[in-house]
Amino acid sequence: MSGQDAPAEEPRSRVSVARWAADLAMGGRFAVTGGRESWARTIMTAVGVGLGVALLLLASSVPTMYQQRNERGDARSSFTPSGEVKPGADTLRLANAGTTFRDQDITGEVMAPDGDGTPPVPPGIDRIPAAGEMWVSPALKKLLDSDEGKLLRDRFPYRTIGVIGDSGLSGPSDLAYYAGVSQKAFGHVNSSYHIDHWGLADKKGANEPLDPALLLLIIVGCVVLLLPVLIFIATAARFGGERRDRRLAALRLVGADIHMTRRIAAGESLFGSLLGLAVGAGLFLLAREIIGSIQVWGISFFTSDIVPSALLALVIAAAVPASAVMVTLIALRGIAIEPLGVVRNAKPKRRRLWWRLLLPLLGLALLLPLAGGFGTGSSGGNMKAYQAAAGAVLLLIGITALLPWVVEAVVERFGGRGSVPWQLATRRLQLSSGTASRAVSGITVAVAGAIALQMLFASVGAQNTEDTGQDPNRAQLIANVPVNDGDQARDAFARYRATKGVRDLLGVTEDYISDVRPSKDDPTSVPEEAITVADCPTLREVVRITSCKNGDVFLVDSSSYYGEEPGFAKPGARVNFAYRDDGTPDLRKKKLWTIPQSATKVKPRPDPTGSERTGIFATPGAFDIADLPDPGAAAMIRLDPKVPDGVEYVRNTSAALSPAMDVMRLSSTSQSDEFQVIRKALFIGATATLLLIGASMIVTTLEQLRERKRLLSVLVAFGTRRTTLSWSVLWQTAVPVVLGLALSIAGGLALGVMLLKMVGQPLAVDWAGLGTMTGVGGGVILLVTLVSLPPLWRMMRPEGLRTE
Amino acid sequence: MTPAGSLLIATSLHKTYGHTPALDSADFSIHPGEVVAVMGPSGSGKSTLLHCLAGIVKPDSGSVHYNGRELTAMSDAERSGLRRGEFGFVFQFGQLVPELSCVENVALPLRLNGTKRKEAETRAAAWMERLEVADVAHKRPGEVSGGQGQRVAVARSLVTAPRVLFADEPTGALDSLNGERVMELLTEAARESRTAVVLVTHEARVAAYSDREVVVRDGKARDMAGAR
Repeated sequence: MSGQDAPAEEPRSRVSVARWAADLAMGGRFAVTGGRESWARTIMTAVGVGLGVALLLLASSVPTMYQQRNERGDARSSFTPSGEVKPGADTLRLANAGTTFRDQDITGEVMAPDGDGTPPVPPGIDRIPAAGEMWVSPALKKLLDSDEGKLLRDRFPYRTIGVIGDSGLSGPSDLAYYAGVSQKAFGHVNSSYHIDHWGLADKKGANEPLDPALLLLIIVGCVVLLLPVLIFIATAARFGGERRDRRLAALRLVGADIHMTRRIAAGESLFGSLLGLAVGAGLFLLAREIIGSIQVWGISFFTSDIVPSALLALVIAAAVPASAVMVTLIALRGIAIEPLGVVRNAKPKRRRLWWRLLLPLLGLALLLPLAGGFGTGSSGGNMKAYQAAAGAVLLLIGITALLPWVVEAVVERFGGRGSVPWQLATRRLQLSSGTASRAVSGITVAVAGAIALQMLFASVGAQNTEDTGQDPNRAQLIANVPVNDGDQARDAFARYRATKGVRDLLGVTEDYISDVRPSKDDPTSVPEEAITVADCPTLREVVRITSCKNGDVFLVDSSSYYGEEPGFAKPGARVNFAYRDDGTPDLRKKKLWTIPQSATKVKPRPDPTGSERTGIFATPGAFDIADLPDPGAAAMIRLDPKVPDGVEYVRNTSAALSPAMDVMRLSSTSQSDEFQVIRKALFIGATATLLLIGASMIVTTLEQLRERKRLLSVLVAFGTRRTTLSWSVLWQTAVPVVLGLALSIAGGLALGVMLLKMVGQPLAVDWAGLGTMTGVGGGVILLVTLVSLPPLWRMMRPEGLRTE
Repeated sequence: MTPAGSLLIATSLHKTYGHTPALDSADFSIHPGEVVAVMGPSGSGKSTLLHCLAGIVKPDSGSVHYNGRELTAMSDAERSGLRRGEFGFVFQFGQLVPELSCVENVALPLRLNGTKRKEAETRAAAWMERLEVADVAHKRPGEVSGGQGQRVAVARSLVTAPRVLFADEPTGALDSLNGERVMELLTEAARESRTAVVLVTHEARVAAYSDREVVVRDGKARDMAGAR
């Protein structure tokens, strides 16, 4: 701090708290009583800080939102990790009956009391629905009542008796239902179970800890999203700073010393930031209402869930005004406010490199020990998370801190060469690169962080995107139909074939057959083999056969594929298909069938779901499916692409066959839901952050232009073209941005490499992602330049000379 | 002095800002190489007259002829071109581009006209030499004194060898000693190159450097021909 300009400085020790308070209060008064200009500055600061505060409050609400959703989810869970519940008077029989309608997931359960007692009632409803009744969530009710839901109504042959309350839903847009069915209906259900209570008793068992890579993704995501917001708040605190400095010079003229002027300036900023807190709280409340009424990618929150954590809210309320004051005081360090005007240090102090380098190095030092070890073992998990967050923050802040130095070092090397716009731009940057760097720093952090996240995304995504082995070209849907006998399977296949939108169907009926005698090695067990009965076209999809006619039988020996002993199912062998109720082979009341001598040994072929089957493959002419004791039927369905909503018609048919049956859509890859949710959330956050930074840059650029209004008029007076100054503005923005982007690519790659090492993933650069993020960063700058051109041209009027 | 042979002639200029009339039927003329001081009290309209004469501001009515061409009929681009090539300007303050060095500031009008940097800076250096500010050529405006800065501005206004130089209170921010030196150098250089100078001032001692005085009062310009 220079003291060359304080004629009558007060000794610091004598500056009392009262003096501080009085000066701050005076600054506060100036913020509102200085006329239109003061108000404009105060409002600009308040809106800027307010936007940042609103985002921070929303971010600080995320833990509560997550917790509330989870708690309600846990409360309505019917998962019983402790073991199976035996049916009793007070138990409830349940089956999962979730379905999907046009890519929207609908959760649901069908239920029936096991006895006459008091079975547990799920949260959000008053009573267990009787058979034929259902409770629906408000969103599902709306959908069913709408024209869009017309097709869906066929899937719910129940009478709606009420709406599920908030306590039974994760969010307001949840599509959910509870339907009552008869106990008999469970005979057509693949899997059902009994419960004696709702909710998770042992939450630890059910809520598995987040995958370390996903946890890291969230930590870095928060850092990347919140750091630019903090930078934005710091920038907003400087809005209108140059005009304020001139006002302070007038105060110096009437006797204020340099420290007083700084305190007064701090008071102005303090007032603006306090107003910003109020604005931020207002914007937060507004955003809360909006969030409560919208659904983004299937996620919605109740307004009442969006409550900031008390501690974090307190930190925000204290830190935002404090940082505004600090930023103001730091900004005033390089300026001497003299009674006759403001003197900016003509030659700014050369920026020091050492501490700027220290930050990213410290960050790397924190991240390096975690390489390959993040999330291994449970000990020190929290510590590691903090260490990762601190490392990422330091690395990203380091990039921001390095930017002014890099910009200064590079522009210093530019001579006076080049066109006039280039010269004006580079000379301006040489004189004051800090303003430009500050404006760009937010983008730099966001881009660097996003590049690192893209790398982690690509890696974690690949890890979470599993190859399912399914072949959607051969069949698009698969339905596992619960049937009691072969006739029912035939009937189900016929109904699917008759469904609108179904082009073709591969129907297999499966069961088990056993050897006629116990195993030689273990007399208590009887060897078993699967038997699949299907027509020739279908068999061609599951085994490799060249010719097939009705009456043929094929054998796939599991031993040659799985290294087991040769099986008993051989041509000419007699096999048993009598089974007891408990599912074990019944050798006392054997039902025998002889495998034809003509049965051919073949190799299996992965079916459209990717599964390989072994055992006996019989055409209906060789084995009557009506003889199968407890068959399962799988319908692999090919859809007619010309029929819209073909999938929905198939799902409706499934619902008619069984109340708890859904069809599976075949896809060659699958991603974990968790990963998708995090990816979506980060994308929303990154977009919001970039927009915020763009807004901040527009304000800063316009302010700079306004400050140069007089000079622009003089330049116009001696005939400077609009294009000359427009290009100069573009270069002036582009140079720091290009440098910033280069730095952020380097920093982003470094952070990305570290993150990948931490989760033990091979190094891979997502070039497309890198290009996109760099492009987005550059796009924001271009947008800012374009937005600032009309005001620039307006200010380039010679009328500006009249102020003289 | 009559308009005959004048380089720049303004007739019946009217200009109003809002409801405030700045010029009310003002006439003006200047010959090549002539130095004319435009005087008058604050707010009388003298700066507005200068702006209209220079084509910076369009009058509401009246005409401005420069070298036989009607300025008010020209497009903005044409007037800008004229200002770049044939006019020079000196203002009271805030006119030098703070980020450019003094020599770059002086060379700026040449460069805007398409002159190559080296040549522009060589010519700029010569003018700086002449105006006794060669030693601050590579300093920025913020690093030089007010008097030096004003001389740099004068050098910049003359570097394109303009036919008319418009000076609006060129010594307003200088002490008397510096002000006089600036005026000496400015008028000397202008007369040598037969540049006409329209000098707006309210100071009699500055006006003393002119060949003729025009007094503007209530928007009307009165020629004080023969006063000197």
